[in-house]
Amino acid sequence: MSFQFPILIIATLLGALYMALRFRRLRLSIPLGAGVGAVGGIVGSLLFMLPLNYCMFDPERDLIDAVFGVILIALGMAIILIPSALMIGSAVERRRNPNSESAGGARQGQFRGLVAPFMLLLPTLIILALFLYYPSLETFRLSTLLTRLGAPRSAFVCVDNFTSLASNTVYLNAFATTLFLSVAIVALSLALGLLVATAVFQPIKGASIYRTLLVWPYAISPAVAGVIFLLLFNPTGGIINYFLNNTIGISIPWLNNPSAAPWVVVIASVWKILGYNILFYLAGLQNIGRDLTESAAIDGANAIKRFYYITLPLLSPITFFLLITNTTFAFFDTFGTIDYLTGGGPLRATTTLMYNIYEVGVTNGDLGKAAAQSIVLFALVIGFTILQFRTAGQRVTYGA
Amino acid sequence: MRKSVVLVVLAVLMLAVMPVLAQEPIDVRVWIAFTDAGRLGWAQERAAEFNELFPQYNVVVEGYANYEELFAATALASEQGSLPAVVQYFEVATQDARDSGYFRPIAEAIAGRTEINGLPVNLDDIIAPVREYYTLDGQFTSMPWNTSSAIFFSNMTILNAAGIDAAPATWADLDAACEAVMALENAPEYCWSFPNHGWFFEQWIAQQNEAFANNGNGRDERATEVTLNNPGALALMSFLDDQVAKGYLYYSGAQGGAAWATVDQAFSTQQIAMAAYSSSDTRIYTQFGVDNGYEVLASFLPYNQETGWTGNLIGGASLWLTTGLPTEVEDGALSFLLYIIQPEHAASWHQTTGYIAITNGAIELLESQGWFDENPNFRVASDQLSQSTVTPATSGALVGAFPSIRNVVTQAVDTVLLTDQDPAAVLDAASAEANVILGEYNLLSAPE
Repeated sequence: MSFQFPILIIATLLGALYMALRFRRLRLSIPLGAGVGAVGGIVGSLLFMLPLNYCMFDPERDLIDAVFGVILIALGMAIILIPSALMIGSAVERRRNPNSESAGGARQGQFRGLVAPFMLLLPTLIILALFLYYPSLETFRLSTLLTRLGAPRSAFVCVDNFTSLASNTVYLNAFATTLFLSVAIVALSLALGLLVATAVFQPIKGASIYRTLLVWPYAISPAVAGVIFLLLFNPTGGIINYFLNNTIGISIPWLNNPSAAPWVVVIASVWKILGYNILFYLAGLQNIGRDLTESAAIDGANAIKRFYYITLPLLSPITFFLLITNTTFAFFDTFGTIDYLTGGGPLRATTTLMYNIYEVGVTNGDLGKAAAQSIVLFALVIGFTILQFRTAGQRVTYGA
Repeated sequence: MRKSVVLVVLAVLMLAVMPVLAQEPIDVRVWIAFTDAGRLGWAQERAAEFNELFPQYNVVVEGYANYEELFAATALASEQGSLPAVVQYFEVATQDARDSGYFRPIAEAIAGRTEINGLPVNLDDIIAPVREYYTLDGQFTSMPWNTSSAIFFSNMTILNAAGIDAAPATWADLDAACEAVMALENAPEYCWSFPNHGWFFEQWIAQQNEAFANNGNGRDERATEVTLNNPGALALMSFLDDQVAKGYLYYSGAQGGAAWATVDQAFSTQQIAMAAYSSSDTRIYTQFGVDNGYEVLASFLPYNQETGWTGNLIGGASLWLTTGLPTEVEDGALSFLLYIIQPEHAASWHQTTGYIAITNGAIELLESQGWFDENPNFRVASDQLSQSTVTPATSGALVGAFPSIRNVVTQAVDTVLLTDQDPAAVLDAASAEANVILGEYNLLSAPE
């Protein structure tokens, strides 16, 4: 086809330019860098295009497919070029400073050949290949197909399963719901976790009993949490409405009001993860030396200032760790709670990306679309994690 | 040394000959989607009796947790060439079962015989709406087993207090009854409810003789389009929308299994006075009244008085005979299927579970025992089905990917009940969405 050749040329040139610049910074031969970059650019551009055969550039396809194709080519090049540049950089660094701490330290315990380390890794690699890598590759293959569970045939649909998501209102709605639920769950569970941990850290009678009891909800499965909260929040005959009705005379339609139902999911999920956060914050609080807070107190800082200027910054590694684990929890582990509590409703107000994948793939048996959605979700979580490392991660103090 | 060799040879010979001497029974494997003692236990008891009556067979009934898990196991068994003799599929998966190529129509396997192993073949005795549902291309295809219908339960204690002495027959009656009930001094929170499940939508449009899909509801030819935006569906949605607006209809907003559970809770605690529900829970609903001190009356599902009542359709599941079985296994499987619809067994299944008695023979037997006089609520579902006029609409739709399309319907009902959107526009959108699913299904699964 006519457009493949220009694409390859552009990929070659871009790859060569990128590597040449990298090599110049490393004070290496620029032409050599250009050569390596050219090869990397070609390989990278073919990473997705070889299996897909440039299908998104076919004349009968929409503009959005072509744009997606360009993104895929760029992504493939980035996947090949950036790690190779980093590897070359660190190799050069090691060669030039053979006695630097990292290089020397690593050499001590290194294997001579390649056989022994790989033999030791083999059992893990086999399990990973069978249960992680192969299913992942299969997910990529399925995402390009129109295929249903149990159907005798399937049809190749190029990147339709991905590009159709851009105009799929149910999906975009699920996207917004996921963001809202995640932000609410993470913010509330971190804030409450820190508050409760600070409270039970005070020397009070029976503190160890409180601490044990507070961690309990974490041991309960998300599905059971869903059932417990369904009983509590059930609009008719639920305990919460019974209580509200008897005290202030109102009853809230928790489960058939699209504005109220997401909050029930937030409350149930925060309750579920809170024990975990308390546990980590307690451990963090125990590690803060009393001398720091004491000297600050002598200098005239009150409890709030001591908490804000000393405790909070010293807890930042734990907060950062909890931020990432809680985000992962909000994305993936709220599924069981949602399934039992609201079933994604009402009006899909609690249908998250994860729940939508379940509905499309498992309930409706539409494997291709579900595979595409799970790849997008996977990319999103990786993206968020990188973003968190770049932004929040830089404010973390690990102590001097 | 020589002695031991002789002994070994003798032992091997004995092992080889023994099955022949003992007339090793033929294994007939039956897979069903129940694991509870009531239903799986009932099937296993019948299998044990059958094996004693017909020692040449060994029927083994295995239970799976739910229909989805059973379908997956069946697909896997087919790939491995180890399909059981009989598999249970629920009613809306009928088209999927048909397209799967795993099964053989029962009529074809019977091949005109009037009895198999001395068990009479009397398929005409099965009540008409049930027989019609499982008759495809004019051929009786799978054996109905657990069959129910959507019926109506009224708390007559509340209705009588409101001056209503009969259960509502039409939507207008229901509306009038609700007006009276809600005017009571100690009125319940709401008047009535139903679980938001696609089955009720199907029931209410079938009553108005409106088809769910084109090509004779998918029975003349493969359905290529669903018609969720037909006039009957629009009338239904407008009625339900109005009932919510008046504060009569309670919609919990719960999805899936919880949709049923919230109706149970509201009815048993008298927060509603009436409920549309599956007849499969007749025993439980009647018991609610006994336990909480009110009278529960079961009646036909109220219909649209403008169009009149044509009939209702069935729900439940049927037993499918797999294809490519050796003749002796197939005859064993057929005999077992005929055995469990014998009047006394169909009657005991009804009494144990609340699923309807599916043959006229069983109904007569139950009548002669006075069962229905003592338990009038139990005859409502079979009466509703046997009095139905059989048309393509009341025979029930045959549509591919029906379980997925049901979810689209459930979402449409959810939208109409919870928002101000125009029911006609919601139904149009739902039709379009369902037709994409059906188109994809037909593209991948219809025989070429």
